[in-house]
Amino acid sequence: MGFPAGKTTAEKIAEKNGIKFYRINSDKFKTTRVDLYFVDNLERERASGNALIPALLKRGCAKYPKVTDLERKLEELYGADIDGGVLKKGENQLIGFHMSHISDNFTSGNEKLFDECSELLMCILKNPMLEGDGFKKSLFKKEWDNLIDYIRSRINNKMRFSLLRCIEEMCANEPFAIADEGSEKDAMLLNPQNTLALYNEMLHSYPLYVYITGPVDDSSIQKLIDDFSAIERGNIKPLKPTGVEKTVKDVKRVDESMDINQGKLCLGFRTNVQPSSPDYYPLVVYNSILGGDTHSKLFQNVREKASLAYYAQSILEKYKGLMVIMSGIEAENRSKAEEIILKQVEDMRKGNITQEEIKASINALETGIKSMQDSQGAIVDFYMSQHLTNLTDDFESTIENFKKVTMDDVVRVAQNVQLDTIYFLKPDGRKAEEGNV
Amino acid sequence: MSYRTIKYEDLGETLYEYDHKSGLKVFFVRKPGYFKKTAMFGTNYGSIDNIFKVPGSDKVIEVPDGIAHFLEHKLFEQEDGNMLDKFSRLGASPNAFTSFNQTVYYFSCTDLFEENFKMLLDYVQKPWLTDENVEKEKGIIGQEIMMYQDNADWRVFFNLLDCLYVNHPIKLEIAGSIESISKITKELLYDCYNTFYSPTNMAVTVAGDLEPDEVFAIVDNMIQFKDRGTVEKKYPQEPEELNQEYKEQKLAVSMPLFFMGIKDNVRVSGPELLKRRIALSIIMNDIMGRSSGLYDKLYSDGLINDTFRFEVSLDQAYGYVAWGGQSSDPKKTSEIISAALKEAVEKGINSDSMTSIKKSHRGMFIRGLNSVDNITHELMESFFNGACYFDTGRIYEELDIDYVNKVLNEVFKNKAALSVVKPQ
Repeated sequence: MGFPAGKTTAEKIAEKNGIKFYRINSDKFKTTRVDLYFVDNLERERASGNALIPALLKRGCAKYPKVTDLERKLEELYGADIDGGVLKKGENQLIGFHMSHISDNFTSGNEKLFDECSELLMCILKNPMLEGDGFKKSLFKKEWDNLIDYIRSRINNKMRFSLLRCIEEMCANEPFAIADEGSEKDAMLLNPQNTLALYNEMLHSYPLYVYITGPVDDSSIQKLIDDFSAIERGNIKPLKPTGVEKTVKDVKRVDESMDINQGKLCLGFRTNVQPSSPDYYPLVVYNSILGGDTHSKLFQNVREKASLAYYAQSILEKYKGLMVIMSGIEAENRSKAEEIILKQVEDMRKGNITQEEIKASINALETGIKSMQDSQGAIVDFYMSQHLTNLTDDFESTIENFKKVTMDDVVRVAQNVQLDTIYFLKPDGRKAEEGNV
Repeated sequence: MSYRTIKYEDLGETLYEYDHKSGLKVFFVRKPGYFKKTAMFGTNYGSIDNIFKVPGSDKVIEVPDGIAHFLEHKLFEQEDGNMLDKFSRLGASPNAFTSFNQTVYYFSCTDLFEENFKMLLDYVQKPWLTDENVEKEKGIIGQEIMMYQDNADWRVFFNLLDCLYVNHPIKLEIAGSIESISKITKELLYDCYNTFYSPTNMAVTVAGDLEPDEVFAIVDNMIQFKDRGTVEKKYPQEPEELNQEYKEQKLAVSMPLFFMGIKDNVRVSGPELLKRRIALSIIMNDIMGRSSGLYDKLYSDGLINDTFRFEVSLDQAYGYVAWGGQSSDPKKTSEIISAALKEAVEKGINSDSMTSIKKSHRGMFIRGLNSVDNITHELMESFFNGACYFDTGRIYEELDIDYVNKVLNEVFKNKAALSVVKPQ
C-alpha cells in the first residue's frame, strides 16, 4: 500500500454535489466499513424528525420490504451490519449511517461483500418504503411510537439524565439545549408527510461526508462514489457556527428529585474556548488534570481522599466549549462534595498544579490519541470532527500540539473557566423509607 | 526461551503460549500495526467463590458477599501509593473488573510497555492491606453499590438471576451489599488472596505489536510468587427447578423493563463449553434474533423495541440464557415468547436458517479480532474454562444441526422465569 506504515490518514478522494468522500488509510483491520454523515443545524423544529429518519430507513427498503428478509440477508453476508442514528456535535446534528462487513479473505466463497453491502446501503438510503406522499403509515406509526418511548426513557439512566438536564438548564435559549433526538413535544408534531419532506431535504441538500475504511478495491470505491454522485443534489444547506462565548452573570442552581438512592451532582462550566482556538489543546490538558482520569484532582480528592463517591470526573464538549463535572454521592454529602469539587477548580485557577500532573495528563492524552487509530469507528469520528470544524490536524500533529502545552497555558485557560449551573438530582426520600439503602 | 507458536491461518492470527515455571500460563497475540498494547493479569476467582478451603489447612470458610470485588479495589493500593496513579503517570490506562468467575487487572498503553507490564505483574503479587485502608474503601464501594441499585437494567437482570437460582451464589450482587461489605476485614481479604492469587489459578494475556520473547522474558523476571496448592471451591447443590417464576420491582423508569431466562443444568468445560455456547447463541438467534418471525411479530405489535437483546452465559460452574428489554406489556410478551420456545423445541432448528446464522456469528467472531482488548479478555475467559478462544473458528466449522437440536432439547424444555421492573 502507498502510505507509510503506522500512519493513519484520511485522504479526500472526491467531492461532488456537496458530498465529500474520504478514504481512510489503515490496512490492519479485518473489516471494511462505510460511514456517512448528513449534517444539519441543531434546531428544535427538525431535531426529532431528523432522528426519526434513520429509524424508518433501517426497517427495510423497496428491494427488502420485509425487515426479516433484510436481516436474513445481512446474516448471509457474514453478519454484515447496517445501522443509523443521530448525534450532536456542538450545535450541529449529524444523521449517521454506517455499513460494515468482514473482509473477503475471511469468507469461504467468492463473495464481493463490499459491492453487495453497498448496494443494500444505497437501497436503504434512496428507496424507503412509501405510501402516497409520505412514509408507509404502519411503519411510521411504529417508529414514531418508539422514538417517543425512547425520549421518555431518558430518565432511566440517572447519570446521563442528570447530565442532559444540567445542559438543558445551562443552555436554555441556546440551540445546544436540544437533546440529540429532540423533545417529546416536537416529536408529537411529526407525521408521515412532513417526515418524508424532511428526508428529501436531508438526501438532496444536507452537506454529506462519506468515509471508507478497511480493505476494498478501488473499482468498488469508484462505483460507490458514482452511486452517490447520481443523487440529485443542490442548494447545499449552509451550516451555522456553534455559539461558544458567554459571560456568566449569576450561577444558576437547579434541584430536582426522583425516587432514587444516590444523588447525582452536575456542575456545568463555560470555557469560552473554540476548537479552533490556540487555547483548545491547553483546555483539554486542563480538563485531564482536573477530572479526566484516575490521576486527576477530582478522582484523587473526591473519591480516594474523601471516599465520597465511586465516580467524580469532568468531561468536555469540544464544539460548544462546555465542561461538566459529574459525581454520584449521598444526598447528605452534597455540600461537602460541592466544596471539594470547587476547591479543585479554584486550585487550577491559582496554578496549584505540578509539572508531574501536566506530564501525566499529556501522556494519557497521547495514549488516547494513538489508541484511537486501532478502532475504525474512532478514526472516522476523529476525522469527522476535524472536517466539521475545518481543522487540518491529523493524529500526529494533534499529539504534537498536546506536547507543546505548558503550565502557563493551562493556568491561562483556567482563568476563563466560569461556573454556570449546578444541577442536583436528589433522592426524594421514598427509597430510604422502603429501607433499600 | 521456549514457548509454543500456534498459527490460525483462517483467522490471520498467531498465538504464542508460554508456561512459566511457577505454573502460571501466559498467552500472547502479536498485532502488527497496532498502537495499543493491552496486558491482563487475572485470577480464576470471582463473586461466586464464597466458600472454599484455605490452602495449608483443612478449614473450609465462608466469606462475606462482595469480597472478591473488594479485594480487586484494594490491590490497587500499595505501600508507596496508588497504582492507578502510577500507571497514569506513564500514560497508561489501568483498570480491573470482577465478574462472577474472574478478577482481572489490566492496563493498556501505547508507549513504555515494559515499565507498565512490570508494574502490573508486580502489584498483583503484593497486596498491602491495613485496617485503615480497608475501612476507607467501604465508603467508595458503598457508593458503587448505591449506583447499581438505581440502575434498572442491572436490577432487572439480578432479579432474574434470583428467580433462576435457589442456592447458587451467582444470584448475589457482585459488589455485595452495604451490610455484607461492613463485615469485610483485612484478615478475610488475606485469606481470599492467599487462596486464589496463586500462579496455577491465574493467567496473563497480552496483545499488541510486540515480540513474544520480549513479553515472556518480562514475565520470567517479574513472577516471584510460588504455587500455594490446588484451589478447592465449594458450591452449594443447585436444584434443577427455578427459585421462583416471577419477580417484580418498582423503580424510576418510563416504561416497564423485562428480562426472562432459562437455566442450563448441564455442566461442561473445555472446547465442549465453547461449542455448547455457540450452539445456544445460534438457537437464541434462530428463535428471537432480528431475522426471526417472533422478533418481527413482537416488534410490529409494539410489545418490544430496539432495546430487546438476548445473551448466553455459560461457565463451568453455571449456565443460563436470558433475553429482554423494554416492553409495554411484559406479561403478554412473556406468554408469546414461552409459546414460541415450546414450538421451537417441537419443530427443531431449521438447517437453512442455521447455516446463515452460523455465517453471521462467525463474521462477528472475526470482527472481534480487530480489538486487542477483546482478544486479551476472551483468551483469559476461555482459558479459565479450559478452552482456547481461537478454537472458536474451528468449532463453527464442526458444528452440526443434530448437536444444536440436542442442546435445544436439553435447555429449552426447562421453564423460563420472568423479572419485571415497573414504573412507580
